[in-house]
Amino acid sequence: MTALLEISGLTKRFGGLTALSNLSMKVEEGEIRGVIGPNGSGKSTLFNLVTGVYPADPGSLVRFRGENITNREPHEIAQRGLARTFQLLRIFVEMTVIENLLVGCHRQISYGIGGALFGAANVRAAERRVRAEMLELLDFVGLADFAEMPAGELSIGQRRLLALGRAMAMKPTLLMLDEPAAGLSPVNVDKLLETVLALKARYGLTVVLVEHVMKLVMASCDVITVLDHGEKIAEGSPDAIRDDHGVIEAYLGKEMQDAEVRAFLRSA
Amino acid sequence: MTTGQRAAAPVRGAVSLLRAAAAHPAYGWGTAFVALLGLPLLVSNGYQQYLLDLIMINIVLAVGLNIVKGFAGQVNVGHLAIAAIGAYTSAVLSTKFGMTFWFALPLATLSAGIVGAVVGVPSFRLEGAYLALATLGLAESVRIFIAVTDYLGASIGYGDIPPPIIAGWRLDSYAAYYYVVMPIAVAGTYIAFSILHSDIGRAFKAIREDTLAAAAAGIAVRKYKLLAFLISALYAGCAGSLAAHMAPGFIHPDDFNLTRMITVILMVVAGGLGHVWGGVIGAALITLIAEWTRSYYQYEFIIFGLIVVLTMMYMPRGIGGYIDRRLATRRFVAQRRGKTAANMT
Repeated sequence: MTALLEISGLTKRFGGLTALSNLSMKVEEGEIRGVIGPNGSGKSTLFNLVTGVYPADPGSLVRFRGENITNREPHEIAQRGLARTFQLLRIFVEMTVIENLLVGCHRQISYGIGGALFGAANVRAAERRVRAEMLELLDFVGLADFAEMPAGELSIGQRRLLALGRAMAMKPTLLMLDEPAAGLSPVNVDKLLETVLALKARYGLTVVLVEHVMKLVMASCDVITVLDHGEKIAEGSPDAIRDDHGVIEAYLGKEMQDAEVRAFLRSA
Repeated sequence: MTTGQRAAAPVRGAVSLLRAAAAHPAYGWGTAFVALLGLPLLVSNGYQQYLLDLIMINIVLAVGLNIVKGFAGQVNVGHLAIAAIGAYTSAVLSTKFGMTFWFALPLATLSAGIVGAVVGVPSFRLEGAYLALATLGLAESVRIFIAVTDYLGASIGYGDIPPPIIAGWRLDSYAAYYYVVMPIAVAGTYIAFSILHSDIGRAFKAIREDTLAAAAAGIAVRKYKLLAFLISALYAGCAGSLAAHMAPGFIHPDDFNLTRMITVILMVVAGGLGHVWGGVIGAALITLIAEWTRSYYQYEFIIFGLIVVLTMMYMPRGIGGYIDRRLATRRFVAQRRGKTAANMT
C-alpha cells in the first residue's frame, strides 16, 4: 500500500540559502504527523512546497494519494483534497464567519454559470443545505454563536478555530496545520488538542501538524519528524523523540544541561 | 366547530400562500419592476425622462464595475473604454451594416465582453495601482484610437445611430426608450445579485481578500479573475450600446474620457464597493448630482471630491456598506439574544 503523502528528495534553495534539502518522508493514512524544529528549520517551507505555494527545485517529488502533485498550482492541489491552514491564518476578515467556511466548500459546490446567473431554485436549496452543514461544522470548532459575525471581529484564538474550520469545510483527505496553537492560551491549547484528536476519531482525517507547543505535539502525534537547517534529523514516536539527543541539541543548543532540556520537553 | 373557524381555514390557507409568495425572491423583484414601470408617468418633462434613462444606463455601468472592482477587487480604469467599444460596435453595426438595435445590442455586448476578458489578463500578475495603470493605458488608447479614426467619426463624433424599433414604432422619445433600458437595468441588477450570492460571488470575494488563501481553498484564481473581467465587460458593453442608441443617437469619444470614468468610479465608491444595491443607489445619486451641477461644471470636481472625502470619512464602505453593516449587526444581536433566551428557558 502506498502512503497518503509521499515526499522524496524535496529541495528548495532561495538563492544561496538552502531552506530544505533532500527531504523524504511518508505520511500514512489516518496518522497524525508532527513536524517540529527550531525557527528557520524549513517547516513552513515544507508546507509551502507541498501545497504548491512555491515551486520546488528539480529532483523533488511529492505524491498525494499516489498521484504526482509536484509543482501543481495551489488550487489544483487543494481540489484534490489537501487542505491547509496558514501561520498567519489568512482568514477572510471582511466576510462573516460562516461565509469563510462557505468559501472552503468551493470544492464541493459548483452551480455553473447558468445556475448562478438566475439564482435558480435548486441553487437556493443547495445553498441552504450547505449552510446548515457549515453551521454544524461551526459547532464542532466552537464558533456556532458567531456565524453571522464579521470574521475580522474575532479574537486571535477564535480566528485560529475559524481557519481550522475553513480547512475542514473542504472535506479534505489530508489536513496540514501550520502552527495551529501559536498564541493560544493554555486552556485553548487543551481545547485544540481535543479538536485535533476528534479530527482523527470523528472524520478519519490524516493530519500533518507544524507546531512549537510541545504539549500539543507530544499528546496528539503518532509520529514526529524533526527538521533542523532544512534537513530531517530524527523521526519517530513522541517518546523516542523526547529522548533523542540530536533533537535536544538542535532545539536548545549544546550549552543547556541535559536535565534542563528533559524538563523542558517533559513539561509538555 | 363554529362557522367562523370553518371560514378561517381557506383564509388562513390564502394568507400562508401569500406569505410564501412574498418570501420568494421573485416577488420583491416583480414589485420593484412594476413600480419602476410607472416611473416615467410621474415625471413631467422630457429632461426628467432623459435623466431616468441615463440613470438606468449608469446603473448597468456601475453594477458591472462593482463586479470586477467591488467584488473581485480588481481595479479596472478601462471600464468606460470597454463601454466605448460596445457603443461604437453597436453604432457601426446598425448604421453601416443595417442591423437593428435588437441584434446590434447583443453583438456589441459580446464583443465588449471578449475585449474585457483580454483586459483581465494583466491582472494575473499585476495588482492595485499597477493594474490601474495598465488598464488606464488601455482606456486612453481606445479613446484616442476612436478620436483619430475617420471611420468612427474621429473627434467629430458618430451620429445618426437609429433608435430601437418595435413593429414600426421608433422608440426615439426618452419616455419610450425608458421601457428598453429599465428592464435591462433590472435584469442586470438581478443577475449581478444572483451571481454574487452563489459560489462564484464567494470566489470573487475570497480573491479580493486574499488570493493565496482563496487558492488554498481550491479556487482557480486566474479563472475567476478572468470571469469577473468578462462579466463586468458584458455590462459595460451593454451600457455603451444602450447609450449609443438613445436619442439623439450620437456618441463622441469624450463621452468615454477619464473624467467620465471618474464619475463612474464615484458611483461605485459612494454607493458601496462590493454591494450591489449600493452600486445602484450610487449610480442614481451621482447621475443626478452630475446633472444638477452641470451648469457649474468648472466646480464639478470640487463637489465630487467633497463627496469622496465625506463618504470615506463617514461611510468608508459607501451607502450600501453602511446599510449592510447595520443589518449585519442587528442580525448578530438577534442571534445572540435568541441564544440567551433559549438558555434561560
